[in-house]
Amino acid sequence: MSLIINGAEYELASPPLTSLLNVLREEVGLLSPKAGCQQGGCGTCTVLIDGEPRRACLTPLGAIEGAAITTVEGLGDPRNLSPVQAAFHEHYAAQCGFCTPGMMMAATGLLARRPDATRDDVLEALAGHFCRCTGYVKIVDAVLSAAAGRVDTTRPEPEAEPGEPSVVIPGSPA
Amino acid sequence: MKAVGARLPRYDGLQHVTGQSVYVDDVRVPDMLWAKALRSTVHSAEIKKLDVSKALRVPGVHAVVTHEDVPVNIVGHLAALGVPADEPLLAEHEVRYQGQPIAVVAAETEEIAQEAVNAIEISYEEREPFLDIRKAFDPDVPKVSPSGNLFVYEPYTERRVRKGDIDWAFEKADRIVQGVYRPAAIEHCPTETQVALVVPEATGRLVIYSCTQAMYFSMGVVATHLGVSLNDLKFVGGTVGGGFGGKVDTAAETISALLAIKAKRPVKWRWTREEEFLCSSVRATWHVEIADAVTKDGWILGRRTLTLHDAGAYTRFSSYGATKHAFHLGGAYTIPNLSFNAYVIWSNHVPTTAMRGFGVTSVSFAVELHMTRIATVLGIDPWELRLKNASRVGDTAPTRVVLKDPSAVPTIQAAAQAAGVELASEYRAMTNAPRKGKTLPRHLVDQLGAWRDNGGR
Repeated sequence: MSLIINGAEYELASPPLTSLLNVLREEVGLLSPKAGCQQGGCGTCTVLIDGEPRRACLTPLGAIEGAAITTVEGLGDPRNLSPVQAAFHEHYAAQCGFCTPGMMMAATGLLARRPDATRDDVLEALAGHFCRCTGYVKIVDAVLSAAAGRVDTTRPEPEAEPGEPSVVIPGSPA
Repeated sequence: MKAVGARLPRYDGLQHVTGQSVYVDDVRVPDMLWAKALRSTVHSAEIKKLDVSKALRVPGVHAVVTHEDVPVNIVGHLAALGVPADEPLLAEHEVRYQGQPIAVVAAETEEIAQEAVNAIEISYEEREPFLDIRKAFDPDVPKVSPSGNLFVYEPYTERRVRKGDIDWAFEKADRIVQGVYRPAAIEHCPTETQVALVVPEATGRLVIYSCTQAMYFSMGVVATHLGVSLNDLKFVGGTVGGGFGGKVDTAAETISALLAIKAKRPVKWRWTREEEFLCSSVRATWHVEIADAVTKDGWILGRRTLTLHDAGAYTRFSSYGATKHAFHLGGAYTIPNLSFNAYVIWSNHVPTTAMRGFGVTSVSFAVELHMTRIATVLGIDPWELRLKNASRVGDTAPTRVVLKDPSAVPTIQAAAQAAGVELASEYRAMTNAPRKGKTLPRHLVDQLGAWRDNGGR
């Protein structure tokens, strides 16, 4: 069996019924797709298969012979982030970080298909991706900002400027 | 204070968005084995037979452990604080909850380990489970522990908080307002399930990759079970795929360590999503009854409460959580006469544990609903009822701690502002300054004693 993973061709030894998730993590050594539930419920293992966001845990290797796979490792590195990665960083959309790879792959798939995605498009694309930390607001904001091209991928670090807190409790010493 | 209010980059932000954060399941070591557990399929039972010999004969199996392999099987998560040890790492003669681990296998793959678990022979004599904590005081209910269903706070069976003269308050009250509040159990459901990887070193030291939220708790629990000192363990943690309190419990480390010692190979135990839901600890069910003695103009003279906390099958951190709960039952309000009773009740549910605001979210839920209930019964504005009774500088908490900088008044004002509620001018102008005049009715004078005796500090 062979796959094109992040642009490189791989000949794989895993049996055809092995899940793509296990192929990527255990044979290829790409660790960004996570095994959150291994039953298609949580979205942490999402990768792009020929450009479409798919659950790697539910996809047997034998069903995708020759397909092009993209994982987070194929999006960008710390010096050269993709717009979605830069937006997630700038908007604090990653908290514990475990759902982040799946979220980013779903968002990347959406924006490739629909660069002018609306809020409803984003909610639809992220449905079935579970985040237990953020409450989703920052994630949706990040994807919308990447869609609008409002992300500077050349300066990914948010500026560390001291400023006034936006909410001041009357009488608080802060 | 340069950081407060500033947009600072997350220290781990770049590695999160580039997929480079290394969680326990991402650690790769050679020769690693995988673990799977035989867990109880029933809520409560005597174990009549446990035979692991067939599991040991499955090709690819390297170790099977049962309670007989655990140097110190029964440990308590708070044993270091003097809370009696009550929980076996692996079940001995009985199981007290569905999902309780009984025997664990390490094998070349997860599939082989599961096949070996399926080969273990076990038989139960089922007992009637105890599942409704509201029946804890009924005669003839099933006993979860030989000592009964109540954790004992020496010398009482409940955590008690007493202040002032509760009988006076209920005699003087214009109305008694009562309510029952029952926050339900919640699974933390982190996207990363419970997982541990234990690598034995040639020296005998164990390297334990852990998803724990509570490194030193976990080190203590593992060292106690294994009967080793802390310097025999090297814990590696710090990257947690969500915890929310559920990873304060030491869930996977100790058993993985036993397997690694026995197999002399690294062992990883990665819980399935089903195990996370069915067998990992949860936020407890609480049952909170409140009766308040109130005046018709909205002062709370006294509060009696009864809390039942569902600890599940073993104590873990429940006694601590219910203590914290009991101390906070006044809420953000100053009530001079109090009688709080909080019981920790064992049941045949999965053990319960910390979750965001451990012990106190149940208070907030119950007390804030109750404040609104009082306002409704008395026909008083709920914001004003809260502000009137809100704790002020110099007031004393249920524990008699003198409050130096309580934030209830500005917090309620800010909430009203955010909700677009126009407060009457006297409530808009209210501060947390010490009580005097209209804000110091006769029944609150005595509770200021400790503050006054201390020269107003």
